[in-house]
Amino acid sequence: MRSAFFKERYSELIVLTDSPSVKAWTLVLVVLLAAAPTFLSAFLLAHLTVILFTLVGVLGLMVLTGFTGLISLGHMGFLLLGGYAYAISVTRLGLPPELALLMSAVVPAMFGLLVGVPSLRLHGLYLAITTLAFSHIVSAAILAGGKFTGAGKGIMVMRPTMLGVDLSSDQAFYWFCLVMCILAVLVTLNLRRSYIGRALVAIRDNDIAARTMGINLVRYKLLAFLVSAALTGVAGAMMGMYLSIVSVEGFPFLLSIEALAIIIVGGIGSVLGAVFGTIFIVTLPEMFGWLIAAMGGRLQDLMTSSAHEIKSVLYGLAIIGFLRFDPRGLRGIWHDVRHAWVHWPLRY
Amino acid sequence: MRYFIELVLSGLAVGAIYGLVAMSFSVIYKATGIVNFAQGEMGMLTAYTTWSLATTMGTSGLTTVLISIVVGALLGLVCERLVMRPMLGEPVLSVVLVTIGLAVVLRSIVTIIWGASPNKFEMAGADDIVQLGGIGMRVSQISVVVVLLVAIAGFWFFLRHSRFGVAMRAVASDEKTARLMGVSTARVQAVAWASATALAGLAGALFAVIYGLAPTVYELGLKAFPATVLGGFDSVLGSGVSGIMIGVLENLVGGYLPSALKEIAGFILILVVLMVRPFGLFGEKRIERV
Repeated sequence: MRSAFFKERYSELIVLTDSPSVKAWTLVLVVLLAAAPTFLSAFLLAHLTVILFTLVGVLGLMVLTGFTGLISLGHMGFLLLGGYAYAISVTRLGLPPELALLMSAVVPAMFGLLVGVPSLRLHGLYLAITTLAFSHIVSAAILAGGKFTGAGKGIMVMRPTMLGVDLSSDQAFYWFCLVMCILAVLVTLNLRRSYIGRALVAIRDNDIAARTMGINLVRYKLLAFLVSAALTGVAGAMMGMYLSIVSVEGFPFLLSIEALAIIIVGGIGSVLGAVFGTIFIVTLPEMFGWLIAAMGGRLQDLMTSSAHEIKSVLYGLAIIGFLRFDPRGLRGIWHDVRHAWVHWPLRY
Repeated sequence: MRYFIELVLSGLAVGAIYGLVAMSFSVIYKATGIVNFAQGEMGMLTAYTTWSLATTMGTSGLTTVLISIVVGALLGLVCERLVMRPMLGEPVLSVVLVTIGLAVVLRSIVTIIWGASPNKFEMAGADDIVQLGGIGMRVSQISVVVVLLVAIAGFWFFLRHSRFGVAMRAVASDEKTARLMGVSTARVQAVAWASATALAGLAGALFAVIYGLAPTVYELGLKAFPATVLGGFDSVLGSGVSGIMIGVLENLVGGYLPSALKEIAGFILILVVLMVRPFGLFGEKRIERV
């Protein structure tokens, strides 16, 4: 007779989840998300779409900063490259949208390798500044690109027909984003549990120790940049499709910061944290908008006159507050809540 | 040749401002091991406050400069006490992100209080032209270079001979040992923030006098990054000198090459330099032990 649950095979140890309830809840969530266009209003659906493609980009940064510990301030550059690779493939080269989407992953990945090379020599903040320099150089190059890149005007992007499905309606585009997002989540989760993921985490925790354990630093640091840039590039293409235009103004430097804020607020190094962080940061400005509108009166006047500034003040305060009071992020809070739920009325 | 010299001279003025901001970056880095991404914003807030004070009181040039130093130091102390002190001992990435949050907040506060439209920062005598070997330069441009030289000399003396300067270097080289020797890390951090923000505020005010006061002054922080990296984050004096180099280079590139390159000339330069010297020109090499 079995006296306990034993993990007998290696595959059982690294399986994504062995809990039936987690599987069931995930299934419920996916079904709900897939059915969302039938019961959500157009505004909420658009909001959910933004969350989905932001999450793809954030997962890209998570692979690099969360798993491998290489701080990047230049992810906006990869986002821009992905968006432009897609737009140029479709409008200038006349490629089919499926191939163009592939290009939006491949082109940033190549540049990711290029930026990855300095990471072998540079550490911490020096690397961060190098990626920052990279993203500025990318946007300057696009602005100087003349007709080919559309310079300051950008390139208009039509919603494509992907694999025979017309994405021009908001519902269809939402489903497209959902599928891409689920794929991205699966890619990062599987990356994290495999040999590669554990090698990346080892590099994050101590790169010299990782090297003595036989991890090839060159290969895995470059791989982290490659995967990260590819994911972020796809997010850039999706963002371009959503906005119907790719331009340098549409991808401000603030996006790099926002992505970093998301992975910190969510809880660094965890895919679940990335999901929570994205929902929180993307929803935050809207929530404050509603809150102020509900209070009305003089506050609302101030809100209409300088709405953008007040939103960014609160956004900055949220970042500071989280780091100050709960550095584990939203994932830590989720962890506490789940434990309280399971063990109640006992404390642990 | 004359064109070349003109470019170099105006590059010196811009470079001196970059140098001041770059020095303020490295003062904080040296004392606390973090990069303060809100440096440009703090300079901007100081510049605006100084402008309001100077126009209401009608102060003269030198007094305005002093006001900007005092306002900057106070702002640095307040930010350090309220935001940075509780973060002592947290991981570097968290602390750096807090400064990014601070930057977002400060930038918006400036726009809420003073509005988005640009203003002219009037300072008596600042726009007078002085002839230097046949080339006209404004007094403000010359005084910026002088201020930078004074700041470099002052910081050299401060770090080498004053009690706080020595304490700061002790904390930078080994925080734990410094604390065991009775150095208060918190107080060193406070002094670093106050002096760095005073420098950044001075740079912001002078920048506003020369190029006008607008809510885009914070970009000064971004432009000074290459200078800090070029000099090495932990080299205060090196950053000041590198600022001049970056400023002159930028102006020369802008003068002779397509203008799009001007914005990124500094960034391209640091990419090249970091490949050869990963710790900047004057930075200290990091030795790692496992």
